[in-house]
Amino acid sequence: MSSQATKDSQREFRKRDIFYLVPLWLLSLIAPDPYLYHKKEFNKKDLYYLIAICLAPLIWSDTHFHHLMVLAGIYAILALGLSLFMGYAGQISLGHAAFFGIGAYTTAILTTRYHIPTFPAFWASAVSAAVIAYFIGRPILKLKGYFLALATLGFGEIFLVIIRESTDLTGGVIGIFNIPWFSVMSFSFDTYLKQYYLIWGVLVGLFVFSKNLVRSKMGRAFLAVAASEDAASSVGINVPRMKLEVFVLGAAFAGLAGSLFSCVMSTANPEAFSLGFTVLIVMMVILGGMGNLYGPIAGAILLTWLTDILSRYQEYSLPLFGVILILLLIFFPDGIGTRLNVRVIYLIGYWAKKKKRDEGKV
Amino acid sequence: MALLSIEEITKEYDGIIALNRLSLKVEQGSIKGLIGPNGAGKSTLFHLISGVEKPDSGKIYFKGREITSLESYERSALGIGRTFQTLQIWGNMTVVENIMAGMHRRLKGSLFSYGFWLPWIKRSEKEALKEAKEMLDSLGLLGKWESIASQLPYGKQKLLELGRALAMKPELLLLDEPASGLTLTEMHQLSERISQIRQKGVTVFIVEHHMGMMLEIADEIAVLHHGELIAEGTPESIKRNPEVIEAYLTRRRSD
Repeated sequence: MSSQATKDSQREFRKRDIFYLVPLWLLSLIAPDPYLYHKKEFNKKDLYYLIAICLAPLIWSDTHFHHLMVLAGIYAILALGLSLFMGYAGQISLGHAAFFGIGAYTTAILTTRYHIPTFPAFWASAVSAAVIAYFIGRPILKLKGYFLALATLGFGEIFLVIIRESTDLTGGVIGIFNIPWFSVMSFSFDTYLKQYYLIWGVLVGLFVFSKNLVRSKMGRAFLAVAASEDAASSVGINVPRMKLEVFVLGAAFAGLAGSLFSCVMSTANPEAFSLGFTVLIVMMVILGGMGNLYGPIAGAILLTWLTDILSRYQEYSLPLFGVILILLLIFFPDGIGTRLNVRVIYLIGYWAKKKKRDEGKV
Repeated sequence: MALLSIEEITKEYDGIIALNRLSLKVEQGSIKGLIGPNGAGKSTLFHLISGVEKPDSGKIYFKGREITSLESYERSALGIGRTFQTLQIWGNMTVVENIMAGMHRRLKGSLFSYGFWLPWIKRSEKEALKEAKEMLDSLGLLGKWESIASQLPYGKQKLLELGRALAMKPELLLLDEPASGLTLTEMHQLSERISQIRQKGVTVFIVEHHMGMMLEIADEIAVLHHGELIAEGTPESIKRNPEVIEAYLTRRRSD
């Protein structure tokens, strides 16, 4: 009698296995494989992602979607740089928006006051953000943990005050208007669709750059610094310099993003670079997944889209946003980009086992 | 001439003297052991040699060059590799990456050359991977090369840490209690491995509690007690030295 029952349950289990395999296989096509996520080489999936990026604005060809994706792309560039600093090198920065602001204001001032074309201003933004990051980073990167968080937070606030008070240069709280569209050799990126390709092109370039770092000696050194600084210096990794390099690199990414942002919005004002914005970017990195380069992009798209959807609910939008973030952090503690299908497999396994448990009890 | 020589070194922590005017030499190509009861200053001495901490006074020479004021990473560039008493592998990387990160100093190239993946970077990364796999093969960890390092059992993690130190091709290898927490078989394998390392021309300096292993493999043993050197010599002479028995062995019996 009992052996008959076990046989039945086994047969049933096999049927169920096949039933679950189909959706799991479909999921595995879109989600990164959990058991391969530490393999850092480029593979076929990257090509699929690239094709999806190229086709997406043509399939959903409404301007609102294009505009959202332009913003998401800019945030993703920022989050990508921050993810190298936070997710890989294991440091904390709460002043990343300041470098975004430095990039935006560099472009704004150069193009409106000195009438320099946007393309050289774009590179100048990255350089100015990187140079400032170098001089800020040298002293404060000696700090660790909470102290580093506080120091970078302080830097962000000081930057805001400087921007607000130096009215002659930055236009104070009102900001700078009429920044021209981004243009290269008289080709102007004046529609959302063109801007989409511009920004996602820059993002893909920076992503490839970051991925090359991550899969090589540099990425190993970042991770080594994050895990144990003593061990890192025992194999000859110059820990302070490594931290400084990745900080400056993140700032340069932020400078590029800021430059693109000011060209797309055609304004630069201090409200866009506040602490709230930094927290949003940090949120993108954490939600997307630390120590994973796809994560910050996924996080940026998700949060931009979420803020847009929730803005319809007016005064309820912020509480709803908070609740959704908490739920995401509970169910995706490693971030949505890292372990999407691990979670899904876990949930399906849970349901399957739950049914079995209930049967056992009865 | 001695590979490493320590002269009159003193280190104090908040009024407690960890090392008191200690002088010590490690000869090229030898296996030197350092023993002593808990709190004798053995780990402090290792931290001072590898540069994790700086001495209050005294000088350290490596290959005839003074390294007292050099940073930790500069000393490892000169050829001082080490393992830690509390295991310090990088649990956020795979096994093979741990070894490859150990080669950090030998792989050249700036941030940008890596970011743009220049052709010679590709080549050197490939070679590094190949070399790391050979290293793992000799350690018997090749089967686990792709698993996350923190998922290995403790003994294998210790082995991995040793492999990482060897990957930087050191001239002097500092092993801080390599046998602690190992099973008896693992300990025998370890002694064999250390002898093999010495045959390749690497000088080994070991801190170890396990007397049996030390007497077996070390050419020379130094005994520390309360930050001072109380005896130095061949394993045979150390075993018979009354002061050592007084300081080390009787203390152990009372534990």
